[in-house]
Amino acid sequence: MLVELGHFALVLALAFTFLQVILPTIGLIKGDFSLAQLSRPMLWAQFFWVLVAFAVLMYAFVVDDFSVKYVANNSNTDLPDMFKISAVWGAHEGSLLLWALVLSSWSLAVSIFSKRLPRDVLTHILIILGVISIGFLLFLLLTSNPFERLDIIPLQGRELNPLLQDFGLIIHPPMLYMGYVGMAIPFAFVLSSLIRGQLDSTWLRWSRPWTLVAWSFLTFGITLGSWWAYYELGWGGWWFWDPVENASFMPWLVATALVHSLSVSEKRGAFKHWTVLLAIAGFSLSLLGTFLVRSGILTSVHSFASDPARGAFILAFLIVVIGGSLALYAWRASLMRSQNSFSWLSRESGLLVNNILLVAAMLSVFLGTMYPLLLDSLGLGKISVGAPYFDAVFVPIMIPAVLAMVIAPFLRWKKDTISRITTVLKPVWLGVGLLFLASFLIVDNTFVSLAVFLFIWIVLHSITLLVTRIRQKGSMSLAFIGMILAHIGIAIFLLGATVTTQLGIEKDIKMEVDQQITIKGYEFVFKGVESFSQQNYQGHKGKIEIYLKGDLIAKLNPEKRQYVTGMPMTEAAIDPSLYRDLYVALGESLGDGAWSLRIYYKPLIRWIWLGGLFISLGALFAAFDRRYRLRVKS
Amino acid sequence: MSMTIWFGVMLALSIAWAVWFLKRPLADNGVDLEQSNIDIGKQKKLELQADLAQGLIDQEQFEQALEEISNTLALELKQADSKTLTKSNANIWIVVVVILLPIFTISVYQNLSNYTPTSKSASIDLPPLTLDQSVVKIEQHLKENPQDVKAWKMLGLSYFDLNKIEESLKAYEKAYQIDSSDPRLLVEYASALISANDDQFTPKPIGLIKKALEIEPNAPDALYLAGLFAANAQDFKLAKTLWNKALSALPEQSVDRQALVSILAELSRVESGDISNTVTVNVVISDEILASRSADDYLMIYAKAAQGRPMPIAIQKLPIKAFNGQIVLSDMNSIMSDKLLSQHDKAIVVVRISATGGAMKQADDLQVASEIITIADNPSVTLNLK
Repeated sequence: MLVELGHFALVLALAFTFLQVILPTIGLIKGDFSLAQLSRPMLWAQFFWVLVAFAVLMYAFVVDDFSVKYVANNSNTDLPDMFKISAVWGAHEGSLLLWALVLSSWSLAVSIFSKRLPRDVLTHILIILGVISIGFLLFLLLTSNPFERLDIIPLQGRELNPLLQDFGLIIHPPMLYMGYVGMAIPFAFVLSSLIRGQLDSTWLRWSRPWTLVAWSFLTFGITLGSWWAYYELGWGGWWFWDPVENASFMPWLVATALVHSLSVSEKRGAFKHWTVLLAIAGFSLSLLGTFLVRSGILTSVHSFASDPARGAFILAFLIVVIGGSLALYAWRASLMRSQNSFSWLSRESGLLVNNILLVAAMLSVFLGTMYPLLLDSLGLGKISVGAPYFDAVFVPIMIPAVLAMVIAPFLRWKKDTISRITTVLKPVWLGVGLLFLASFLIVDNTFVSLAVFLFIWIVLHSITLLVTRIRQKGSMSLAFIGMILAHIGIAIFLLGATVTTQLGIEKDIKMEVDQQITIKGYEFVFKGVESFSQQNYQGHKGKIEIYLKGDLIAKLNPEKRQYVTGMPMTEAAIDPSLYRDLYVALGESLGDGAWSLRIYYKPLIRWIWLGGLFISLGALFAAFDRRYRLRVKS
Repeated sequence: MSMTIWFGVMLALSIAWAVWFLKRPLADNGVDLEQSNIDIGKQKKLELQADLAQGLIDQEQFEQALEEISNTLALELKQADSKTLTKSNANIWIVVVVILLPIFTISVYQNLSNYTPTSKSASIDLPPLTLDQSVVKIEQHLKENPQDVKAWKMLGLSYFDLNKIEESLKAYEKAYQIDSSDPRLLVEYASALISANDDQFTPKPIGLIKKALEIEPNAPDALYLAGLFAANAQDFKLAKTLWNKALSALPEQSVDRQALVSILAELSRVESGDISNTVTVNVVISDEILASRSADDYLMIYAKAAQGRPMPIAIQKLPIKAFNGQIVLSDMNSIMSDKLLSQHDKAIVVVRISATGGAMKQADDLQVASEIITIADNPSVTLNLK
């Protein structure tokens, strides 16, 4: 019965979302306050019922209610409790319900924490968020009902995809969704301004912290996904240019441009066209990501649900959202004309270059992701676009962006001169040159040399900026600290990604008991394999001892698991450190006690995720800057 | 509380919530858009002054920027549409919400509860449950839903597969009492009854098959059983006609179709004296046993699959007095169209003497089984009952 109540709660949520949209719209048109103010209480009710539905589904998982098709398909009695909870969003229907809950939560946060927004502005924003919620709730109820019952109740359920039985799954999707769905907030702010015909300071001021929080979550979600793929998939990679990874990376690139563009629009009233289009593009790309994952177009670990009907629904929704918002943009284009000019050398021009390069990078990823799908759908053959394309196209676009990234904060608004900037930065460049030369003597890999140069470039510029600000006794705002953190995060990421890619070592090797192999001074000794069994799987556990200069430094136990449903899984074992990871994956038994093993030496790989955390943290710092807590006098 | 009451409670809460906020609107926060833009403009000026003080901009840039801020603010104030919202009588909207909210919610829920676009393909790919587990689960389900014909049918089938014929018949009988118009149920029930009576076509299963064919004249499984009845009665012509009719009703790719084709071929071979895939069973019964048993006791000779379910794949039953020392098992003695003798690789032959002739082994039954045999070899087996 509880399951039916969960389903009914979802229908009630839809009803309240319609009320959240229709009644306030009538109120705004008629100038009726009693109707216009309803957007908030109707939203709260919507949130409550979505939460009830989500709690019911979670309860069904916890108590192993296999009368629910979704539960029977994604859980069983042997599944550990922790994964029963995360299994709620382990497949299509539940993850869509999570999506709806996250959107509802974002909307709730906007309705509660926007006390300084004029009420009619907030009402417009909540109406737009309501329209988006209607789309997702209808999608859930019509094509992806998580509460569907089975006629005959199985005693035991299926297995949750073993790949997803991991701590990473508990946090990666919710964080990524927070980022994806969070992009709906700047989108709603922009659309509200376009509808009201008031692209003013209020919109720009209050939209920026929300964008920063969404960007922070998106960064954190992508970082978690990369970390999860690294240790869970057993390939030792951290980014595969998988179309689904790209689907999350494209909105990230646009959101990065958006937070910078918002800064210019807010402070100098320029770049409004950019800001509006980037906000629309950011949310549209989030929807595109959903379309790519849910339509079944892609075949990857993420495409656990493939259904053309669902794809058609999202595609139609995407067309309505993009088409509608671009039409609004065209209608209001005249309002975005800026009277404020700036010189070719100014902070504005630096940030413009930043926008152009980030958008160009996004388009290069878009092309590499969508072109093969387009060719395939037109029956023009299958092509594979992988790392070589992205390395050749994406990386060269990003290098100038990274170089310019740390110069722009030194530039003056409106107009600057080469002589002034050269004078200010000459000592920095000298330092960069000296440090780079010193590192060049140690490193004999061109790409690593380039990465070291960029690392030194970013870090020295950032430190100089910080020192200058301290010397001038200027305000050390959270936004400023956030910027420094995020830029240093990029430097850390760049160095980690390049060093691990260029200097990492991979060995696929057959090892017999007590055989050893030395990689980068580390002696890996294979001590055999033992069988074991756990609650919902059994398998083999390899025993590897690692010695450095004769000292035992780690014992690793990579696993080869066989889940109750028969699905095999490789569970790598890692000895982590900030400087290098030693990574071992167990392959196949080759008879006579010999096994195939994959052994990786991964220098600086942790820096990739550390960089991501810095960027994410930087965005959060900036979002909580005191200027966004300004109390507007009325 | 029943589900309907819970739905009612949820709806009542929802209506009360909406009505409450229609009657008592949330207070306006008093933030005016124009004032908001003015205050933000002022803050920008302060930031600009700080930039000037820190030497981030010079005096000329400061003044330019200050002018821009003023111009932007002037433009924003010009754009501002100061529409004032008024409070009006909300009673009409209360009536609308009270009427429309339940209508919308209930009708959408009812539609969606029936709206199962994927229900036809809803058969989930679950790992096979043991039959015992299925039975427990179905029985639990039936306690709460005693009128669920589908579940009774499933229970009958599960018990049948577990060789619990008596329980199976009870479950089928229950299903039959609830709905006697389902030809599929009638055929399954008839099959179970025939099996319970050692493949004898008693009046009840014959009636059920007739009824099934009245409801659905081309029901392949009913036609198959009718053909089997005819074959048992040595009316091979009628059997052939019925099986051919069943064949034409089956889809091209059906497994049953393949089984029927082979059974028809078997029938043709029987008619022409050319029988393939047979198991010849020689039974030697000691004089002592013959003396201790009634001449009317049954001799049951059957083959069962070497692995899997214990149901016979071919069986003959006859009184001891009618036995001449040898019988031949073939597809003609198979009782299930999809479990023919020739479809199996390995089998075990069992010979049993039973006073009752029941399907389940009784305490005073005598039984002997062969080693595993290979059907394709058309083996000959000799079993001694001593």
